Amino acid sequence: MLEIADLTVAYGPVVALHGVSLTVADASITAVLGANGAGKTTLVRTISGLTRPRAGSIRLDGRDITRLAPEEIARLGIAHVPQGQGVLAELTVDENLRLGGLWRTDPGGQRAALAEAYELFPPLAARRHVAAFSLSGGERQMLSVGRALVARAGVLLLDEPSLGLARLVLVQIMARIKALVTERQLTVLLIEQNARSALSVAHQAIVLHLGKVVAQGRAQQLLSEEELRHAYLGF
Amino acid sequence: MSRFFVLTLNGLTQGAIYAAMALALVLIWRATKVINFAQGAMAMFTTYLALFAIDHGAPYWVAFSVALLSGLLLGAIVERVIVRPVESAPPLNVVILTLGLLLFFQAIAPMAFGGQIRSFPPAFSIVGLHLGNAQIAFSPFDAFTLGSVVTVMILLLVLFQKTNLGLRMRASAFNPEVSRLLGIRVGRMLTLGWALASLVGALAGVLIAPSFLLYPTFMDQVLVYGFTGAVLGGLDSAMGAVIGGLLMGFALSYVGGYFGSDLETVGALVILIAVLMVRPRGLFSLQRLREV
Repeated sequence: MLEIADLTVAYGPVVALHGVSLTVADASITAVLGANGAGKTTLVRTISGLTRPRAGSIRLDGRDITRLAPEEIARLGIAHVPQGQGVLAELTVDENLRLGGLWRTDPGGQRAALAEAYELFPPLAARRHVAAFSLSGGERQMLSVGRALVARAGVLLLDEPSLGLARLVLVQIMARIKALVTERQLTVLLIEQNARSALSVAHQAIVLHLGKVVAQGRAQQLLSEEELRHAYLGF
Repeated sequence: MSRFFVLTLNGLTQGAIYAAMALALVLIWRATKVINFAQGAMAMFTTYLALFAIDHGAPYWVAFSVALLSGLLLGAIVERVIVRPVESAPPLNVVILTLGLLLFFQAIAPMAFGGQIRSFPPAFSIVGLHLGNAQIAFSPFDAFTLGSVVTVMILLLVLFQKTNLGLRMRASAFNPEVSRLLGIRVGRMLTLGWALASLVGALAGVLIAPSFLLYPTFMDQVLVYGFTGAVLGGLDSAMGAVIGGLLMGFALSYVGGYFGSDLETVGALVILIAVLMVRPRGLFSLQRLREV
């Protein structure tokens, strides 16, 4: 369980997050919605340790991880799939995938995890020894997600997976992730600007507006609140 | 014809040393996007340390190991103590720092080891080998020079391409932020990168010292030619650095041999300008691939 309490993040004088609190339950998908500049990316960057908060705390299964370095947070099983540039373009598909779990100390488990990732995303298996820069947007996204699985991450932070992807490809990838939530108890925090598609897969959601939480609840419930949708979600 | 043969052999040996220096610069450039202008001065310092060991009765191979190990250590220390604190500052700050470091080592070397010009013993004879009745311009020490540079390059290639540690180092160089998200301790990888680069530089120093003489600025020329070789190769390609360094060795040897040694430096400049006019990113830059 990921618990975020009163998180405040500022870039110099500009406050990006204003006392944000959020609990992400195990084996569920929580969507973070909001317009550009609402603070969504700042929220995931702070969870993964790339950005330092000014105040507040982040706990993973009760353990305070607020001030840990990104590499140490990753080693606790939180995989952050960053927006767009998540793959190492100069390395091959296989190298990218292997990198996900290099910090683990079980070579046997690693090989199994690698095989599983290829099984889950067949297009990657076909392009195993190709440099990642030649992959399509969808394949890159599969690679980023696959890499998080090789790390056997318990928590997946997905930053705008829909960006630049064809709708069909996105639906496929999200279906895989949804299956992993039930099969593997994967916990997902899904950042999305496209609220409609995010709410269709998420169990619960929060809506950020200018760095503050303006709504939160079960995904179905948010979908039914017309005023909220018009005001913040744009549909 | 025989003249050409002599110049080619000479170019090959010199080129191997420029290639080592070029490789040292490229390793650091790839890891931290910094040109380490102190690379030559650091190698000068480690060569002095080797000579210091010899002065105190150490056999050649102990001194050789002193140079390489102190190079490894010096690179790690410089990265941790000097470069790390200005990591997030504008790139120019680090460049100025490495220039400052160059002056520092050149100032401290005569204080520590004396200012007079010294000679450095070779590991093997520097008298040309005999091929039949003719003596050729290739000595056992030249063979050793070539052999050790090639060995180090093969070891580095295996490290980077075949090991998990090398994979981590490459990832950290390409994208430190994503690498950290993958649980890679990028800081350690950068330190290791600097240490290895500095080791390769130290090797160049201890190999060239017998044919130059040892004085505080004796590596400046090697740094300039190595740097030119690295730029020729595209700065971010290890293979390019090696080929660029070798090209410099051949070109300088031909220019020096046919047009007089005064023109060597001018020759280097002309080659650099000519290549950069045709291929602004160097001969083997990775960026070419990204445009596809």
